[in-house]
Amino acid sequence: MSDSTVKPIEDPKVVMELEGKAKLRKWLNMNFRIEMTDGRVLIGVFLCTDRDANVILGACSEYLKGVDGETEEPRVLGLVMVPGRHIVSIQIDDTTPSQKYFFDE
Amino acid sequence: MGDTDDFFDGDGTMESLPTSPEVTYNWVDITTDFFKNIQDLQLGELLHDGHLFGLFEAMSAIEMMDPKMDAGMLCNRGNPKPLNFQQAVLSGKLKIDDLEPSEIIGIIDATVACIVSWLEGHSLAQTVFTNVYLHQPHSIINNPLKAYCIAVYKLLDCIRDCITKAQVFEEEDFLPMGYGYRLGSNLQSGNQHDASLEVSEQKCISMLREQEEELNKKARSQEDEANNLWAALAARIRFTRMFYQALLLITKRDSQSGADCVALLNGCSEMMKVIIKTASKGTQPLENHIPNPMGFEPMINQRLLPPTFPRYTRIKPRLEALQYFDDLVTRLRHAWKIKSCTNFHTALDFFMEFSRQRACILSRSALQLLYLSPSPAITASMAQSNVNSPQGRQRPQHAFIEILRESVKSFVNPPALALKSTIGPNPPAREFVENFLVRCVRPFAVLVQVCGHNRARQRDKLALLLDDFAALQEEAESVDALVSGAAGSAPRACFGTWILYHVLRVMIAYLLSGLELELYSVHEYHYIFWYLYEFLYGWLVSALGRAENLSGERKDPKRIAARKKKRSRPYAREGLMCQVMQNMCGGYFKALVAFKLQGKIRQPQSEFDNEAVRYKHRFAPLSVLTPPQVHYHEFCEMTQPFQYENPIILYVAGCKHFQQARTFLETVTTPDQEVTDLLKVAKTNFVVLKLLAGGHKKDSTTPPEFDFSVHRHFPIIKLV
Repeated sequence: MSDSTVKPIEDPKVVMELEGKAKLRKWLNMNFRIEMTDGRVLIGVFLCTDRDANVILGACSEYLKGVDGETEEPRVLGLVMVPGRHIVSIQIDDTTPSQKYFFDE
Repeated sequence: MGDTDDFFDGDGTMESLPTSPEVTYNWVDITTDFFKNIQDLQLGELLHDGHLFGLFEAMSAIEMMDPKMDAGMLCNRGNPKPLNFQQAVLSGKLKIDDLEPSEIIGIIDATVACIVSWLEGHSLAQTVFTNVYLHQPHSIINNPLKAYCIAVYKLLDCIRDCITKAQVFEEEDFLPMGYGYRLGSNLQSGNQHDASLEVSEQKCISMLREQEEELNKKARSQEDEANNLWAALAARIRFTRMFYQALLLITKRDSQSGADCVALLNGCSEMMKVIIKTASKGTQPLENHIPNPMGFEPMINQRLLPPTFPRYTRIKPRLEALQYFDDLVTRLRHAWKIKSCTNFHTALDFFMEFSRQRACILSRSALQLLYLSPSPAITASMAQSNVNSPQGRQRPQHAFIEILRESVKSFVNPPALALKSTIGPNPPAREFVENFLVRCVRPFAVLVQVCGHNRARQRDKLALLLDDFAALQEEAESVDALVSGAAGSAPRACFGTWILYHVLRVMIAYLLSGLELELYSVHEYHYIFWYLYEFLYGWLVSALGRAENLSGERKDPKRIAARKKKRSRPYAREGLMCQVMQNMCGGYFKALVAFKLQGKIRQPQSEFDNEAVRYKHRFAPLSVLTPPQVHYHEFCEMTQPFQYENPIILYVAGCKHFQQARTFLETVTTPDQEVTDLLKVAKTNFVVLKLLAGGHKKDSTTPPEFDFSVHRHFPIIKLV
C-alpha cells in the first residue's frame, strides 16, 4: 500500500483504483453484517480484506436464522475469516460512529 | 447504493450513540460496492489498518465454512436439529419408562464408551454429555436407568476429583472442563439447580444397591432366555457401584478399610467379565457416529463448544471401551501394591515401572493418591508455600518427611538420624538435619509426581527438577560437614551421597528418555552412549558402593556378621544392573565410532548442523553442581584416540562389552521381563559386532539400523 502512495499518479485508471481502496479503507473498523451462503449471519468489526473478498471480522458473533422464527442466542466467535465465495451480502452499520480504538493515521 | 458514502463524513446521526446494551443497527447494504471496490486491490494485497491488524493477526482467524474449523457449519450442526431432553420425550423418541433391558444395556454400554473417550482426552460435551438422559436424570421414570444416570454424574465427579488432585495430566491427557454440567450434584431439571435433588455419595451407592437387588430378583424369577438380560443389567449396575466405591476410597482416603477397596476392585473385574460376555445383548449402534440408537445426540452440545472446537470426536467402540475399563481395573489393582512399598526407593522404582507400561491417566492419578495423601503434587506445593511462611508453622507434609527420613536411614544410615544419636545433645546439628529434610520434600515430591506424567512430558520435567536437586546438593554438603564437625568425626558425605544417587538416576532417566522418544539422530548416538558409559553409570555404581560402605561403617561387628549372612549387599542387584547398562552403552559407543570411521553413518554438514551445538543442547540440563558436566571440548579430547583406532579393534572391544553385559545378566537369579529383554539385545548385538569384527560388510556404507522394538532404550543393531 505504501507503494501506491509513493507512485506518481499519471493514469486516470490508477486514480480510480485508489478511490476504491480509499472507500474500503473508510469502512475499516466499522460494524459489518455478512450473510453467508448457508444462511447464517455474522456481525463483527471489519478488519481486513483482499482481492478475493475474503473478509476478516473481529469480535464476531454468529446468528442463526431460525427456520420457525425463533431467534437463538448469538454465539461468540471472536476473530473470523469469511471466504469471499461464501458471502451472499454485506451490510454496514449506519448508526454508530466507527469506534475510536484505532490510531488515526 | 450511491448514498453509501454520505454517512461517513456526515455526523448528525452519530451524536446519538447507543449506550444501552440493546444495540440497534441501521444496516445499509454495500454488497455491490464492496465487490466492485475490492477489484482495485492487487492480487495478494491485504487491505487493513496497518497499526492494529496485520498478517499475523489474520493468520489466527478461524475460517468460516471450513468443516474442520467452523463448529456452526450446517454439517457440524446436526441435521435435523438435535432434540433436547423434553422435546425428545414429547416426540416419543426418548423412552423414559418401560424400557426393554436390552435398551438399558445399550445405553449403559454406550455411556461407558463415552466415559472412556473422555478419559482419553476428549471433552465431556462431545462424549458423555451427548447422552441426552444425563441432561435430566431425575425426570427418568425407569428406576435402573435413573439410578445409573445419577451415578454417572457422581462417578464423573469422582474421576475428575482424583485426576485433579494428583495433577499428573496435561492438556493432551485429560480435559477437566465441565461445560456447565454440574458434576457431582445431579440437577438439570430444566437447567435449574435444585438443592433437593442433590444426591450424597451414600445415597447414590444405596440407590444402586437397591436396583441391583431388584434386578437380581427379576433375573432369578425368569428362567427363560430373558433371564440373562436382567442378570447382565444387574452386573452393570453392580460394576458401577463397586467401581464408584473403590474410586471414592482411593480419592477421599477417609476410610481405613484398605482390604475393602481390593475386594471391590476384584468384584469389578469379575463383573466386567460378565459385562463383556453380554455386550452383544444390548442394542447396538446403527450408524458409526452415534453410540446408541436411543438417547445419544452427538451434536447436542455443539453450541457449547469454543469457536475453534476440537475435531469431531470419535467415540471408542464399545468392546474396546469395555476392555479399557477391564484393563483399568487391573491397573488399579496393581497400583494398590504401592501400599506394600515401604521404602522410598522401592516405591520410586514401582512408580517408574508403572509409568513404563504407559498406564492411563486415571490409574496414574490413582497411584499418586494411593502412595501419598495428600497427593505428591499437593505435598510439593504445600512445601513450597511453607518455605516462605514464618517459623513455627504447621508441617502437613509430615508423612513425606518420615518417608524421606527412612529412605536416608536405610540408604546411608547417617549417625545424625540414629535413634541413640551421638549428636543427641547437639541441637543445632539435629535442627540442620531436620531443615534439610524439609527442603527435600518439594523436589522429591515433584520427582514422584513427574513419574506420574505421560512419558513424553516426563523429559522436560526431569530437566527442570535437576535444578532443584542442584540446590539440595549444596545444602547436603554443608549439612554433612556440620554433622561431622559436631560429632568430631571424619567428614562423611552421608546426605551428599543420598542426593547424588538420586541426581544421577534423574540424569540417566533424562538421557535415556531421549532414546525412547526418538529425539536423537543416529549421528548423535555416540556421545549420548559415551556419556552414559563413561560417566553416569560409573558414578552411579560408585555412589552405590559408597552408600554401602557408609551404612556398614556404623554397625557393631556382631550385627555385621549376622547381617552378612542374610543379605550382604542390599544394592547388589542394582549395582549389577548399572554395570550391565554401562557395558551396553560402552558397546554401542565403540560400535558407533567404528561405524563412523567406516563411513557407515551419515553426518550432517557441520556448517548447518554443528556437533558442538548439538552436544551442548543435549547435555544442557546436566550442568548441576556435582557431578560436573563434561563439556564438548573434553569429549573431543577424551575420544580423540578413538579417531585413529582400527575399526576392527573397536568392534572387538564393543563385542566384549556386550559379552560382559550378557555374563552379568545371566547371574541374575530371578530374571524379570527387563532382564530377559536386555539379555536378548546383548546377545544379538554381541553376534552382530563379532561379524563386523570379522570384516563382514567392511566396505558397505549402508547405514546400520537401530531397532528399539525389544527394548525402549537399548536397540538391536541391524545390518542391512
